[in-house]
Amino acid sequence: MPAPAAPDPGEVPDNDLVKRCQAGDTRAFDVLVSRYRGRIYAMTHHMIQNETEAWDLAQEAFIKAWRALPSFKMDSAFYTWLYRITHNVVYDWLRKRKLQADGEFDDSRTEHRIAAGAEAVPRGDPAPDTALKNAELGRRIQSAIAKLSPEHQQVILLREVDGMAYEEIAAAVPCSLGTVMSRLFYARKKLQELLKDCYEHAA
Amino acid sequence: MNTPPEDYELLRWLDGEMNDAEQDAFEARLAADPSLQAEAALMKRLSSDLRSHLPAEMPVPYADFFNSQIQVRLAQDENVQPSPAVSGGWFGWLRLPWLTTAFATAALVLAGLVAWQNSTTAGGDELVHSIYVPKAGVQARSFHSKDARATVLVLDGLEDMPADRKIVGFNISHGEVDEALAATTLFDDHGRAVAVMSKDARNQPLLLTTTNPRG
Repeated sequence: MPAPAAPDPGEVPDNDLVKRCQAGDTRAFDVLVSRYRGRIYAMTHHMIQNETEAWDLAQEAFIKAWRALPSFKMDSAFYTWLYRITHNVVYDWLRKRKLQADGEFDDSRTEHRIAAGAEAVPRGDPAPDTALKNAELGRRIQSAIAKLSPEHQQVILLREVDGMAYEEIAAAVPCSLGTVMSRLFYARKKLQELLKDCYEHAA
Repeated sequence: MNTPPEDYELLRWLDGEMNDAEQDAFEARLAADPSLQAEAALMKRLSSDLRSHLPAEMPVPYADFFNSQIQVRLAQDENVQPSPAVSGGWFGWLRLPWLTTAFATAALVLAGLVAWQNSTTAGGDELVHSIYVPKAGVQARSFHSKDARATVLVLDGLEDMPADRKIVGFNISHGEVDEALAATTLFDDHGRAVAVMSKDARNQPLLLTTTNPRG
């Protein structure tokens, strides 16, 4: 299972940077921002599906993290803690925008889509029809993710995108292992249902 | 949500959350159950597609600006000095790729900014500039002369420029802030607008000039 916050050899460990941040070193925080901005932005983008809003929310998450750093006890990985803050920032934003209705989301959120699947298209110029189908599946997946509730989005993204283990997800949310499994089960069933025709046609 | 334990078994198997004994037992069950095999295959494919189409990391647009804006907010919120190499403010636009170092130097040596400063500060000579420096080795300093009614920004440590590089400077007489448009227009001695600083639809810094800064 990939460790979300594992630094490369030679990198200053997160905890060392966190300690410097807690002493008021904004340059140390800048290093942490550079280290995790791509992941945090990806997460906000997957949840919001709007490039500008995702950019702003990712920035807001880092700012809130800075403010909360004095109380961070380092009893979890920095990224796990940062992710929890990010989720709360996005969740608050969604609530304010009243995009949530009975656990499902307004489809208008999917109006601003990234070039779905662009990074997933295999190298080597696939045949145009394959590329089109791939892009269409990407759009459908984005749309299906957007229809999940924030809680179900959260666990499926942590599991499938960040590759977190159940225990790590439980710590990030936070919730019990049973809740993680329950939400993952529901999220996958819901996605299966929403993407049913994609797989039927492909079968 | 109540779900039968056997559904969690499939879930845990897919996600590699089983120990060896549990895995062996589940795979024996899987081998004997075609419908479970079909369900497992579908779930595996869904996982694979999700990973393919939802990257764990995405390039952040204007990544440097992303960082510098955070530093600005921290400085504003916490009343701390931003780090020397990464500070921010109005001049954040200077790190845009289309703005060359030469133009940065020329544009920064602006005389006669005081009128604009007066419009943004109460004291006139108390303005504290927040300067974004695009290169770590470059030091920025600013001098304000109330008598000369001028502010000079100096960048030390810039690389040498080719002798044939054309440099254009602007003499700014005064500036006007349009809060509705979130734009500042800078005027020369003749009252001509020479530059407009604003933000684009993506909230990114935008500089429009009536003169080609590259000559």
